Amino acid sequence: MDFLNSILVKPFADMFEAPDFLMQVLWEGLVSGILYALIALGFVLIFRSSRIFNFAQGIMVVFAALTLVGFHQMGVPAWISVVLSLGVMFVLAVSIERIVLRPLVGQPDIILFMATIGITLFLIGFGELIFGGENKMMITEELGIPTGEFIFEPFGGFLLLEQKDVTAVAVAAILVVALLMFLNKTRMGRAIRALGDDHQAALSVGISLQTIWVLVWFIAGIIALVTGIAWGARAGVSFALEVIAYKALPVLMLGGLESITGAIIGGLMIGLLEKLFEIYWGQPLLGGNTETWFAFVLALFVLLFRPQGLFGERIIERV
Amino acid sequence: MKLWKQLAAATALTVIAGGAMAEGLYAPNMAYRTGPFAALGIPLMNGQADYMTMLNERDGGVGGVKVDFEECETGYSTEKGVECYEKTKGNAIVTQPWSTGITLQVLPKTNVDEIPILAPGYGFSPMSEGGTFQWAYNPPASYWDGAYMILSHIAGGDMASLKGKKIAFLHLDHPFGKEPLPLLEQLAAEHGFELVAIPVGLKEMQNQSAQWLQIRRERPDNVIMWGWGAMNSAAIQEAVKTKYPMEQFYGVWWAGHDPDLAAVGDKGKGYKSISWSMPQPDSALMADIKKYVIDTGKTQTTEDQLNSVFYQRGLVMSMMLAEAIKVAQEHTGSAEIGPKDLRWGLENLNITDEKLAELGMAGMVPAFSTACNNHTGHSGAWILEWDGAKFNQASDLLQADQSVIEPLAKAKAAEYADANAPWPVTTCGG
Repeated sequence: MDFLNSILVKPFADMFEAPDFLMQVLWEGLVSGILYALIALGFVLIFRSSRIFNFAQGIMVVFAALTLVGFHQMGVPAWISVVLSLGVMFVLAVSIERIVLRPLVGQPDIILFMATIGITLFLIGFGELIFGGENKMMITEELGIPTGEFIFEPFGGFLLLEQKDVTAVAVAAILVVALLMFLNKTRMGRAIRALGDDHQAALSVGISLQTIWVLVWFIAGIIALVTGIAWGARAGVSFALEVIAYKALPVLMLGGLESITGAIIGGLMIGLLEKLFEIYWGQPLLGGNTETWFAFVLALFVLLFRPQGLFGERIIERV
Repeated sequence: MKLWKQLAAATALTVIAGGAMAEGLYAPNMAYRTGPFAALGIPLMNGQADYMTMLNERDGGVGGVKVDFEECETGYSTEKGVECYEKTKGNAIVTQPWSTGITLQVLPKTNVDEIPILAPGYGFSPMSEGGTFQWAYNPPASYWDGAYMILSHIAGGDMASLKGKKIAFLHLDHPFGKEPLPLLEQLAAEHGFELVAIPVGLKEMQNQSAQWLQIRRERPDNVIMWGWGAMNSAAIQEAVKTKYPMEQFYGVWWAGHDPDLAAVGDKGKGYKSISWSMPQPDSALMADIKKYVIDTGKTQTTEDQLNSVFYQRGLVMSMMLAEAIKVAQEHTGSAEIGPKDLRWGLENLNITDEKLAELGMAGMVPAFSTACNNHTGHSGAWILEWDGAKFNQASDLLQADQSVIEPLAKAKAAEYADANAPWPVTTCGG
């Protein structure tokens, strides 16, 4: 009976008893969720246009953030460093298309996936060679990102929202809207979607595979830079950030590999649910640290019922 | 034909390289200059390497024999660490595994290969029991020493005053992070304080909001952090964010890295870290390091690292190895020593204050000595406190109560030997 009480009653009683704390938990979950969604978006974009599962998205986040900090350490003003970092991500996109992807056109998906593992290893080594392995501070203030906090007292309690987190949420929302508009309202965006739907058909109407691949890898680079700034502002920039990117995998399993909406909703769901589970069930009943596995279990559970994820396209193959 | 010539040339080069490696005293170090823990590894490895370079340049090595100090990169991965051990053990006089996980993996192997492990301030705390762990040394203090001393400082020297307190133990969910738990659990039961263990997964090191929400909910009197690498800087930033009183926040000696605190500056004021090493910028050693290593460009160290806690701790670590080599050389009467001789040296280290002064290292580490039944030395340690810009000494030399630690170490050592039977055990002095 006690056991059932601890699972079914006490967590909800705790939420009701300290609603300000619950709001703090939800806020932290929301911020994590937005950032997971951003990383997942990078994966989805590349997958939609090329059917490549880009294993390098995580290290691209680290590489982009390190490039930004690196330029600034060389004395370049913050916003010019952003522009130069975008330039580097563009060069990276062109190089990946020319050196890695173009020679592999027509190869099975698994070969392209393995190629992105190669890109990951290269970027780790190259990044460490250029920037070293030390933790770096994100140039948060230099970029004009506010570093203060908003403090509220809901229900007579205490709720703290860091301004940099609020900024991250706002920027992520703007980025997602811009991305959706780009994909739905522009010629290039429609070309990306066409390529995702059917390579052969897209090529037959004159859509350039090379141009689109460079474009999507560059957009993934932009997303990586924004994600790197947001995560870096929270906990510093180091190669440990790459590990966080793996949290995007259950987001993709949950939301579906092709769906931008799925990436966003999947990210938010995982961010919120894993935080709620950890605080109200994981820590009191399982000794904590459930965030390392909760998202994967949730995603597996969803896959049992919807193998294509919540928003993925149902694949029908006729034999 | 051309291919055969190339193969022959490659073979010849390998033989030459192998021969060259065997010259001098080969002391491999399992470094981690890459990966999520590199921020800590780099200054420590730089300190270790620079001390040996300084000895090679100034004195021609140790006892006239150069030290071949080679790094094998592990990225702090246990699997890679074991590979490094296997790759380097051939000519090695010592193995320096550099992670509790790697130490635990190579521990049984070193018994067979008869190579001493030198794990300064890390590894498995019961390694102090030389009768059971005949090839493993963790001077000058074990994790259990560290945990006891932190609690003792919190208690103001009177452990009974901990009764009724709540102490959160924020730790990496890894063999290193869990290492002090047996002692802390025993002390919590003995002294009546509540211990709240809060694990941080490797994947969550930079995303600790859940752990700090738990700390906010639990409202512990103190937080003790057993963190490594990126975990420490993220925890310190979360502590600042959640407005946890920094003067009640303590870290192990690997959680006292200057740049981690510099990132929060004044907001980190009052944060404390236990440390068995203390930077001494004006020491004679630092003058020699500058003269023979930094100014000659034979280093990877940057100027801003020189007076940091971790760089100078790296120097102290290599000093221990160099002094053990000297002891072994004196004992055998030969400058060329092997791993068995070094084991004797590590077991008979006597680092006195006079010796430290002679080495130009006065005050850099407390005096300690090792013996067969004491592979740790139990030097004691200081509390360092962050003042907003740097760490300062904030306590006299603290000591862990060995009457509490030794029985636990003996019990856990016996448990380990039983679990790994047949495990060779000897009686010290017997």
